[in-house]
Amino acid sequence: MPRRREPRPAPALELKTTRFAGIQVILNSAEHAALDTHLSTLFAATPDFFGGEAAVFDCSRLPADAATPDWAWLAQELKSRGLNPFAVQNASPALAAAATDAGLLVLNDAAPANPPVVEASPEPEPEPDPEPQSAPEPAPPAPATRIIDKPLRSGQRVYAAGGDIVVLAAVNPGAEVIADGSIHVYAPLKGRALAGARGDTAARIFTTHLEAELVSIAGVYRTFESAPDAAVARKPAQIRLADASQIVIEPL
Amino acid sequence: MATIITVTSGKGGVGKTTTSASISSGLALRGFKTAVIDFDVGLRNLDLIMGCERRVVYDFVNVIQGDANLNQALIKDKHSDNLYVLPASQTRDKDALTEEGVEKVLKDLEHQGFDYIVCDSPAGIEHGAVMALTFADEAIIVTNPEVSSVRDSDRILGIIQSKSRRAVEGRDPVKEHLLVTRYSPKRAHEGEMLTYTDIQELLRIPLLGVIPESEAVLHASNQGIPAIHQKGTPVADAYSDAIGRFLGEEHPLRFVDYEKPGLIKRLFGGK
Repeated sequence: MPRRREPRPAPALELKTTRFAGIQVILNSAEHAALDTHLSTLFAATPDFFGGEAAVFDCSRLPADAATPDWAWLAQELKSRGLNPFAVQNASPALAAAATDAGLLVLNDAAPANPPVVEASPEPEPEPDPEPQSAPEPAPPAPATRIIDKPLRSGQRVYAAGGDIVVLAAVNPGAEVIADGSIHVYAPLKGRALAGARGDTAARIFTTHLEAELVSIAGVYRTFESAPDAAVARKPAQIRLADASQIVIEPL
Repeated sequence: MATIITVTSGKGGVGKTTTSASISSGLALRGFKTAVIDFDVGLRNLDLIMGCERRVVYDFVNVIQGDANLNQALIKDKHSDNLYVLPASQTRDKDALTEEGVEKVLKDLEHQGFDYIVCDSPAGIEHGAVMALTFADEAIIVTNPEVSSVRDSDRILGIIQSKSRRAVEGRDPVKEHLLVTRYSPKRAHEGEMLTYTDIQELLRIPLLGVIPESEAVLHASNQGIPAIHQKGTPVADAYSDAIGRFLGEEHPLRFVDYEKPGLIKRLFGGK
């Protein structure tokens, strides 16, 4: 008899495999001084860009004769900047051993081209999902679009990692909407909107009422010290990037 | 079951303490057993506005730290029978407020049969302000008709929505009310001030009332008598209306429209 969805209490604990989005920290050098300098410059303007995302060190680009990075120091530096490194991947046995000593996990056979996947962690894990997957509801892929239906208030910030964001309520002055993809605001946009946060120049911003403090696409930004054209100010508008370097604001 | 009302604003000097004094007095006048707590540890003002500064022996921090019991610290108000004031300490700082300590005091007040507990928040978004809003059931956001005050109110609303117990535990959210204070219909009409509809459009929470700018407030503060007792003044009437609305009554907004003074009025004066 096929398994039907009967109302039964959810068990207290379930195990399932997951692929979660995180940040790869790709090391090109293991030298303390070089890393220190670059971290400082990289985060100088946006010290709190990250909000506690998980991160993995990728060693695939480290030269074979590279020294062992000071893992504990490196992890601490990233933590202080809002990233939570928990593992290394593509590490040589020597690097991996040092990483383990520093309390990091070692991810084996992680495909370098893919987002980091936790597959074989050193901790013993029972084979997940002893029950057959119920066919009628395949687990949806991690939602690529975030939907926000409450006003975003001054000081609040939402970040849609890896996808678009749709906001159905006002984005007030001092609030910040960030997406790796495009941003849709079906209400007054009075705060900041940063689309294409990881460099997607095709990302766009749409709003039904443009009154933003700042808009940015793939790092190219515009502030509104002087109000935008009357054709778009407080009106429906689209913001996109032309020639990868020029912010264009058009009425919708 | 006591209802905890936090009066907060983010910005300083907008009328939180004046509002706490008048709202708590108004609730007491309507027969509810009410306590009002000054969370502004280190800068206590509520006792001055309530006119009980000479009767302060023990304070909120003494109760939290177990140096005094609640009944020793509660001061009975002179003007209304059902109202008790728990003053702040002048000599400590806001770190003396612990979450467990505040929670215990609020629980104890509830056990003593209080209907409403009004928490007068300090300005800012730091520890003291967060402690004042953590246990709120309802919040009165006091805003002046100017952009910085509105911006700070927006910020504090975000904090209520993320840090209050109700938000953290996923219960029904804190019920938010907008109270616009120091409102001058004339200046709003002439575009020198935001109008209350501008403010409401930005903050998007229900309007509890509009309190007009008035000299009566300063006079009340200096006398140590909450403004709601200044019978016949627009401020007292506006606060009474706001309390009525808080309790679910319908009252039309008063004192928000500007009438151009007519010729006679201009010739013969009048305010």
